[in-house]
Amino acid sequence: MKTSTEYVRDGKPVAVSAERIDGDRWRVRVGDRIYEYRAQALGDGGVRLAPVGEEFDRSFVAYGAAAGKEFMVRVNGRTHTLAKPAGRKGGGGGAADGTVRAPMTGTVLDVLCKVGDVVAADQTLVVVSAMKMEHKLIAGVAGVVQSVAAKKGGTVEQGAVLAVVEPAKSDAAKS
Amino acid sequence: MSHNPPFRRLLIANRGEIAVRIARGLREMGIESVAVHSDIDARCAHVLAADHAMALGGNTAAESYLDIGKILAAAKKSGAEAIHPGYGFLSENAAFARAVRDAGLVFVGPTPEAMERLGGKKAAREEAIAAGVPVIPGTEQDLGDAGLIEVAKKIGMPVMVKASAGGGGRGMRLVEREQDLAEALQAGRREAKASFGDDRMILERAVFPARHIEIQLIGDKHGHVVSLHERECSVQRRHQKVLEEAPSAVVDEALRKRMGDAAVSLAKRVGYDNAGTAEFLLDPQGNFYFLEVNTRLQVEHPVTELVTGVDLVHLQVHVAAGGKLEQLLAGKDLRPRGHSIEARICAESPETGYIPAAGLLRLVREAEGPGIRVDSGVYTGWDVPPFYDSMLAKLIVWAPDRATACARLSQALRDTAYLGIPTNVDFLRRIVDDTAFRSARLRTDMLKLRPELAEGPKEPPEDLALAAAVLCQAMAKQPSASSGAASGVAAGSVAAWQDLQGFRVFGGAS
Repeated sequence: MKTSTEYVRDGKPVAVSAERIDGDRWRVRVGDRIYEYRAQALGDGGVRLAPVGEEFDRSFVAYGAAAGKEFMVRVNGRTHTLAKPAGRKGGGGGAADGTVRAPMTGTVLDVLCKVGDVVAADQTLVVVSAMKMEHKLIAGVAGVVQSVAAKKGGTVEQGAVLAVVEPAKSDAAKS
Repeated sequence: MSHNPPFRRLLIANRGEIAVRIARGLREMGIESVAVHSDIDARCAHVLAADHAMALGGNTAAESYLDIGKILAAAKKSGAEAIHPGYGFLSENAAFARAVRDAGLVFVGPTPEAMERLGGKKAAREEAIAAGVPVIPGTEQDLGDAGLIEVAKKIGMPVMVKASAGGGGRGMRLVEREQDLAEALQAGRREAKASFGDDRMILERAVFPARHIEIQLIGDKHGHVVSLHERECSVQRRHQKVLEEAPSAVVDEALRKRMGDAAVSLAKRVGYDNAGTAEFLLDPQGNFYFLEVNTRLQVEHPVTELVTGVDLVHLQVHVAAGGKLEQLLAGKDLRPRGHSIEARICAESPETGYIPAAGLLRLVREAEGPGIRVDSGVYTGWDVPPFYDSMLAKLIVWAPDRATACARLSQALRDTAYLGIPTNVDFLRRIVDDTAFRSARLRTDMLKLRPELAEGPKEPPEDLALAAAVLCQAMAKQPSASSGAASGVAAGSVAAWQDLQGFRVFGGAS
């Protein structure tokens, strides 16, 4: 059985696959490099892996789990959140396309723009409160507010579109 | 410590890790615990840890853990004789403490009168001045935005604006330029209103570089107040504590005594009993300035417990029932022994501006080993709700000296995994491994001055990380031979692991 996927590294998609050779020996391809590992699943969701063929055998214990559309892996004392190339960007203010989204589920504290407003890229359009923290969501692009979906006092889901800014076309309008 | 339990049943008006920690302490004392919970918290760790559970309904803090009527009704219905408020929520609400007392129940905390005298920053400051405790120049009352801006002009920038009813950094901001004051005050008022239902703000001169040193106090109902010495909580981000330790590397015996005496005299002045913490700023010349008193158990209380050997929850419950400190602490050597450090594990992403996260924890692996304590409020499969604080757990270590405690904490963080949502685990480890932290060169603005600690390494993940990820995915997909183990343990994986300690292996039947 072969598991193939793609992760984004340094902004570029990297093809990655794992195929069992026999027993606990696996062939792993990362881009155009091929590795051989001995790998064993642990009972608690972890995997122990040891590169084969190295004179002094180092081994690692890795823990991995899906996190939304990404995959989180913790190995060698670091956590990596690996995105799939197809995965669309998560919520958050300041998207370069002018779509202001709720960074997480919360309450709209204030709406500081209305349709037709001319806004700068760093201008706060909506203030959202989530987990007792205030988040100022900026336009992300200079332009004209096309629509405002956020209502003061309303509850919003993570990723919900709160406002849309039509990016300004002329260079002069850029902030 | 105890012979007969002072209460039969006690309600915990809180959630998450602190409610778990209190429930455990109560069980050790032979007291039944009653958990309360919102709808979304029906399977939260604190509900599982308690003997009884009462639903409060609702999801937001306002409609559950902050609803005094609902909590008192739950206490009555469950037959609880006392209420422990934990920290946050209603813990520093004098009206709640009074309502508990009026309902004929015992509040595990100071009297509402003492809370009123120390609870608001303005009141506390006046009491401190009267007790001869040094304070920072500033105003003790909300003079309105215009009035506060006038005061700022008089004492000079930079200033700190704070919620009058505050705690935990909510509504608190450092303002460096006069023109930013108005906006900071408005944002502070909004946060204060949301967190405490009270939007009053105060302002004072910002002392820096400063270290945050606080004194843990415990008092009884017979006029005795004892200092359990200092904690240092200088590593902060946006006025919220990140790492806390005891003792402080810069507090010597003489300063410890001076600060402890100041805190005790302030507490005695207001007739304080139960646990409380007097917070101070310490400047490089060794001057200390009173900040505020937190009239409750603190998040970071475990580091004091580990270096003094007392159990603060046990003590709180005993003194609430009228126990005498003379007897409760008889024969105990309370001098700090060794060194303890706590790391607050939060569902937030320091790499992207500390944005908090909610969602499903698909894999939780907490550290264990000698000198390691984990006070946790989560487990694998727990869906972290978006309504409350982002703290998941506290990782606390003890070692004979500070250097070993740092090494132990770094190692324990390496062994820690909370996967499924972003956490600050890697960030905590970067700080603990940093030279400034290792050499105890701490200041409250150190994280602001060193943004790279939050941002993390710039290098892309190495091949090993991608290989590990795909192997985790491949193995999770594998049908498990005959065991039915959910994680799909590979056949033949047991032998290699039989002699390794610390890993449970199951389902390897071939």
